[in-house]
Amino acid sequence: MGSDVFEITVNLVKMLFIFLLMVQLVPVLVWVERRGSAFIQSRFGPNRVGPLGLTQLLADAVKFLMKEEFVPAQGKKLLFYLAPAIALVPGAVAFGSIPLSCPVHIQRFLMLQHWWGPYDFEFQSFHFGVGIVFVLGISSLGAYALLLAGWGSANKFSLMGALRASAQMISYELALGLSLVGAILIYGTFDFTEMIAQQAQVFNFELLGHAFHLRKYGILMQPIGAILYFSSIFAETNRLPFDLPEAEGELVVGYHTEYGGLKMLMFYIGEYGHMMVGSALFVTFYLGGYTIPLLTTTQINNLFLSMGAGPNVISILTALVFHVAFFAKVLFLLWVFVWVRWTLPRFRYDQLMDLGWKTMLPWSLANVIVTAVVVAYVRSK
Amino acid sequence: MTPLFAALILFFFVLFFGLFLVWVSGLLGPKTKFNKVKSEAYECGLPSQETHNTKIPVKFYLTAILFILFDIEIIFMYPWAVSFIEFVQSGAGPYILGVMGVFLAIFIYGLFWEIKSNALEWE
Amino acid sequence: MDISTIIFIILATIIVVSSVSVLMTPNPIYAAFSLAITMVTMGFLYFSLDADFIAGVQLIVYAGAVMVLFVMVLMLFDLEKETEAYSKGTFSVFLKLMCGLFLTGAVALSVRQSIKGLSDVAKVATPAEQVETIKLLAGRLFTQYVFAFEALGVLLLVIAIGVVAVARSRGGTHARH
Repeated sequence: MGSDVFEITVNLVKMLFIFLLMVQLVPVLVWVERRGSAFIQSRFGPNRVGPLGLTQLLADAVKFLMKEEFVPAQGKKLLFYLAPAIALVPGAVAFGSIPLSCPVHIQRFLMLQHWWGPYDFEFQSFHFGVGIVFVLGISSLGAYALLLAGWGSANKFSLMGALRASAQMISYELALGLSLVGAILIYGTFDFTEMIAQQAQVFNFELLGHAFHLRKYGILMQPIGAILYFSSIFAETNRLPFDLPEAEGELVVGYHTEYGGLKMLMFYIGEYGHMMVGSALFVTFYLGGYTIPLLTTTQINNLFLSMGAGPNVISILTALVFHVAFFAKVLFLLWVFVWVRWTLPRFRYDQLMDLGWKTMLPWSLANVIVTAVVVAYVRSK
Repeated sequence: MTPLFAALILFFFVLFFGLFLVWVSGLLGPKTKFNKVKSEAYECGLPSQETHNTKIPVKFYLTAILFILFDIEIIFMYPWAVSFIEFVQSGAGPYILGVMGVFLAIFIYGLFWEIKSNALEWE
Repeated sequence: MDISTIIFIILATIIVVSSVSVLMTPNPIYAAFSLAITMVTMGFLYFSLDADFIAGVQLIVYAGAVMVLFVMVLMLFDLEKETEAYSKGTFSVFLKLMCGLFLTGAVALSVRQSIKGLSDVAKVATPAEQVETIKLLAGRLFTQYVFAFEALGVLLLVIAIGVVAVARSRGGTHARH
C-alpha cells in the first residue's frame, strides 16, 4: 500500500475517492434513468427542481433522510438493519480492484525539507494479481444482502423476492463465469492491467485494398462471449428484462418491500454499484479498458509536452484523459441498461431460467470450446 | 502493506458507512407511537393469510445445488484457461485440449442429462 | 508487530468468534449467517497467505454458493420440528461424536502434513508473481494430478444425478407423477 506517509495517505485518499465516485454516480444514474425513461416514452420526467430537474437528486436525498424509521413487528431487527449495509459492500470492494486509468508516475520532489518519491500510483484501490477471480468472488456475496433482507423482513413477498433473486443470480453466474473463460483463454492472465495492455496492441490487416489498424479489443475476438456476458449482467443485477425479484405486479417490490427511506436507497446503491462493476468489467474485458481507439499514450504525452507541462503534470493529465475515456465507455453501457429497460418486456420466470440454463450455458460452453481450439491452432505455430 | 490490507480497510469502511447511514436515517426521521396495524407485515390491504414461514418449492434447492456443482467445474476451467497458452507453446496443446475435453464431455453430459430429466423445468 | 501479523490476529479472531457462534446459536438462520462470515474471513485469510487464487475460489464456491445453498435448505425445513429431531437420541449423539473425532483427526493430519513443507515457502509479492503461482498450480493439476481432476468431474456428475433423483423421489413439487 505504501512505504512512507505520503504514499499511504495518497492511497487512502484514492480509495475513498473511488468509493465516493461510485456512490456519487448513483444519484446521477437515477436522474439519467428517470429522464431517460421519460425521453423514451415522450414525456417530461422530473423537470421542476432546478435546471433539467438536476437538483431533484438533492431533494430526493433530503426526503430519504427524513423518512420515519420502521421495522416490521415480526422482523429480525439485526438482519433487517444489516442487510442494506451489506448490500453496499460487494459493489464497492469489487469496483476498487478494477483499474480506472493508467498508473501515475511521480518523480522525486521536495516537500517540507524532505525528498519524497519516486512513486507509482495505480489508478485503482488495490491491485490483486487474480483480478477477475477476486471480483467474481466478492460479487457472489451480493446474494446475501438480498437473502438477509428477505428473511429479516418477515414478509412473504420479501422472502419470495429474495429467493427468486438469489436463484436467478446463481443461475446466471454460471453463464457469466463461463463466458469470461473464452476471454481469459485469449489473454492468458487474470490481471486486468495486463489484459488492457494486450488489448492496446494494434492488429494490422488489409481488406479490399485498404490497410486497417485495429486495436485487439476483446469484443472483436470474443463477440459471442461479450454478448453472453452482457446479457447475464442484466440478470445478475436484477434489471429488466430480468427483474423478476421485483416484479411489482406479483411481489410488490420483492426483497425490499418493507424497506423505506435511506435503507431502500442503499439497496439501490448496491444495485447500481453492481451495474457499474459489471459495466467496468465489460469495458476491461471487451472494450479495451481505459485505452482510446486511435490515440496512444505517447501521443497524449506529446500533446501535453507541447503545452509546456512538467513530467509529473503530464503523467497526471494523461491518467485523467484515460480515466475520462474509461468512464465514457462505462456510462454508455449504463445508458444501455436504461435503454434496454424501456425496450424489452419482462420475462416469465420459467423463461428466465430456461434462458439461463438451456440457452446461455450451452452457448458459452460452445464458445469456450471453439475459442480453445482456435487459440491452440493459432498459438502453436 | 498489501492489497489485502487495502481491501479489508475498504470492506469494513463500507460496512460501517452503511450501518452509520442506517443509524442516521433512524435519528433524523419523525418519531411516531407504536402502531400495531402499521407494523404488521405488508400485505395489499387484506390481513395476511400466509406467514413468511411458508413452504418453499424444492426447485430452489435443486437449482442451488446444481449451480454449485457446475460452478466448481467452471472454477477448474479458470487455471486451465490462464495457463492454456503456455501449454500450447510448449507443444502440449493437444494434451491440454484432451484433458479439458474429457472433463467438458462429462460436464456437457451432465448438463444435457439435467435438461432431459426435466430437473431444470419451471412450470 | 508487522502489518500481516495484525491482519492475521484480526481475521483469526473473527473466524473463531463466528465459528463458535455457528455452534452456539440456536436459530439456524443466524448460524448460517455466522458460517457465511467464517467462510468469507477464511477467504481473506487465504489472501493473507498469498494463495490468491485459492482465496478467490473460497469466496466463489464456499462463501457464495454453499451459503446460498445452506440458507435455502434451512428455509425448506419446518424449523421447530427439525431442531428437535436432530438433537435427540443416543444414536445421533454417537454419530456426532464420531464425526467430530474423525474431523479432528483429519485436521490434525493435514496440519502435520502441511507444516513439513513450510520452510521452502517463497513470498509472492507482485501481481505478476501471483499469476505465475496460478500457472504453477495449473501445471501440477493438469499433469501430475490429472487423474484426480478427471475423477472429480465424474464425481460431480454422480452428485448431480443423485440430487435430482433424491429431490424427485418422494413428495414435493418435483415428484414424478
